[in-house]
Amino acid sequence: MTERWVIVARIGLRNVRRQLRRSLLTASAMVLGIALLMFVRALEGGAHLMYVDTATRMGTGHIAMEHPDYRGSQDLMDRIAAPDLERILAAADRSVAAGELVAVFPQVNVGGLAQSASSSIPVRISGVDPGLERDVSFFADKMVEGRYLEVGDRLEAIVGAEVAQRLRLELGSRLVLMAAGAGGELESQLVFVTGIFRSGVPEVDRGVVQLPLATAREWLEVGEDATSVSVILASDNRTGEIASEIQGHLREGGVEAERLAVRPWWEAMPDLYAGLRADAVQTYVMLVILLAIVALAVVNSILMAVLNRTREFGVLRALGLNRTSVGAMVMVEGLVLTLASGVAGMLLGLAISMGLFRDGVDISFLFGGELAFAGSVVDPVILPAVLVSDVVAILSIVVSIGILATLYPAWHATRIEPAEAMKTDE
Amino acid sequence: MTDATQGTTSAPAVETRELWKTFGEGETAVHAVQNVTVAIQPGEFVALCGPSGSGKTTLVNLIGGLTNPTRGTAKVDGRDVGAMSERERAQLRLERIGFVFQAYNLLPVLTALENAEFPLMLRGVEREERRKEVMELFEHIGLGGLQDRRPGALSGGQQQRVAVARAVLGAPALVLADEPTANLDTAASDALLEVMELLNEERKVTFIFCTHDPRVMRRARRIIRLVDGHVERDEEKASGDLPGWVLEPVGT
Repeated sequence: MTERWVIVARIGLRNVRRQLRRSLLTASAMVLGIALLMFVRALEGGAHLMYVDTATRMGTGHIAMEHPDYRGSQDLMDRIAAPDLERILAAADRSVAAGELVAVFPQVNVGGLAQSASSSIPVRISGVDPGLERDVSFFADKMVEGRYLEVGDRLEAIVGAEVAQRLRLELGSRLVLMAAGAGGELESQLVFVTGIFRSGVPEVDRGVVQLPLATAREWLEVGEDATSVSVILASDNRTGEIASEIQGHLREGGVEAERLAVRPWWEAMPDLYAGLRADAVQTYVMLVILLAIVALAVVNSILMAVLNRTREFGVLRALGLNRTSVGAMVMVEGLVLTLASGVAGMLLGLAISMGLFRDGVDISFLFGGELAFAGSVVDPVILPAVLVSDVVAILSIVVSIGILATLYPAWHATRIEPAEAMKTDE
Repeated sequence: MTDATQGTTSAPAVETRELWKTFGEGETAVHAVQNVTVAIQPGEFVALCGPSGSGKTTLVNLIGGLTNPTRGTAKVDGRDVGAMSERERAQLRLERIGFVFQAYNLLPVLTALENAEFPLMLRGVEREERRKEVMELFEHIGLGGLQDRRPGALSGGQQQRVAVARAVLGAPALVLADEPTANLDTAASDALLEVMELLNEERKVTFIFCTHDPRVMRRARRIIRLVDGHVERDEEKASGDLPGWVLEPVGT
């Protein structure tokens, strides 16, 4: 029985070699199609990682913790009390392995007004700890004038480029921030512009002001409390798992869900997540259509190979090979061709993504400058990233093409009648 | 040495009853085989002769289960081939019948040796045993040293000898041979026919040849002449004789 499959496989394999030119042409379509899919997904995956990295470093973090009602109310009444901040730090320490954690930082965020000598505009005001955020903050990398906040700063503030322009601010300019404090009264705080940033995200550049956390706490009368705590991780691979662990430790420590929501970035920034998902699905749909066309070429090639060998299949049947074995022979032929070329395509895609373009692909010629998307932004130089999930998905696509493209020719081969087949010239 | 009749009943090796095969319908219908009733006993050495288009190939195809009859029955070892499933017919061909086709029909991707041993391999015969059998037969029929060549590198006569080897190796109960000597010179024909006679005598393999070749008909011990799809004459004879009627034009 085993010998039967050995000879069936042998004939199938030799037939791939027999029509070498046709096999190579078919294989090249597969190789290029799969390599293109791999590269486009690597580029997109890289861009998505960069979008996530930027968004998390703008302050949300990979894991964001805040009072469950804060997002809706934006009220300082819905804030995290100082004792809970201590518990959060302890839970994060227990949940994150050494090397996985980049930073944990609290912020006080509030909506208010920024007023200069010339004008006033609504802004988002963030009290940040420069000691904790300096090395991870996206804004620290995007200063176009002056400097980022430093430890020891008190009345210094950084503003978005559009804020500076609309309020006619320069380095050293006075700026008055106004917002409702914890007591519900309107409070104001004088600060001096020490730096101006341009993030590339329009809504951030025209509406964000950052000042030292200690100053914000004092001004807004929140004591040692915060409105959010963010966790920045070295990689996004275990974000969901770590978020669940932190939540578990907090619940064990008595911090109830009513007091604190622990959200991975995709829940904290649903617009960004939905946008990235839609982008990935759109790419897959387009590329699967492309691969369907490639699959048709494979079907055509294998069907031609079957039709050209009608007489041979007739002989095989006459010699006692049953329909199943004849079908299996064609399946071997088709699967070897598609799997080998599919894997070759994946390796080529990998080589292009991680070898040829390992320093990134500059797509500024397509879009001009930075690419803002769902509240995040990336440089126009995209670093390709091959994700394990994409490798699995593409391998599944290759196997599916192999099976689907071979089924009809194999079925056709099993229908060949020996006596009729041996009358043909093919 | 195995007897090809071993394990079978006393039923005829081949038996057809009122067998018809019609191609097409209505006015364009062609009756390739008409009302053929014959019984061939195990161990017979039969030549099917007749002019081209007389239905010889269609008749052996019907016996071998390569095509279905329009009417009537064709039995091999007492089993109605037309009533079998596709799988049963494939199994019958594999285990009981050897075919020699008109146009060699070797598989181009296999070597001469692989082509010849193909049915044995499907039957599960051990590699060493089947290779020994193939090489012995190859030596006997002048194919020694050619076993690793693909069909494309063999002459027509050599290919035909490989095709015959494929049909007779493993001593099937029945060999259906369609013009087996058509492309062979006298010496090669004689060598092949000797092998077949030996198998017929020693292992009681039943042979049915479609042929125009007087050398084959001379060795046959029964000659059936088909004309327009029906049996015109069916006579037994002594091996070596060639009855005069065989060479006479049809209808005289």
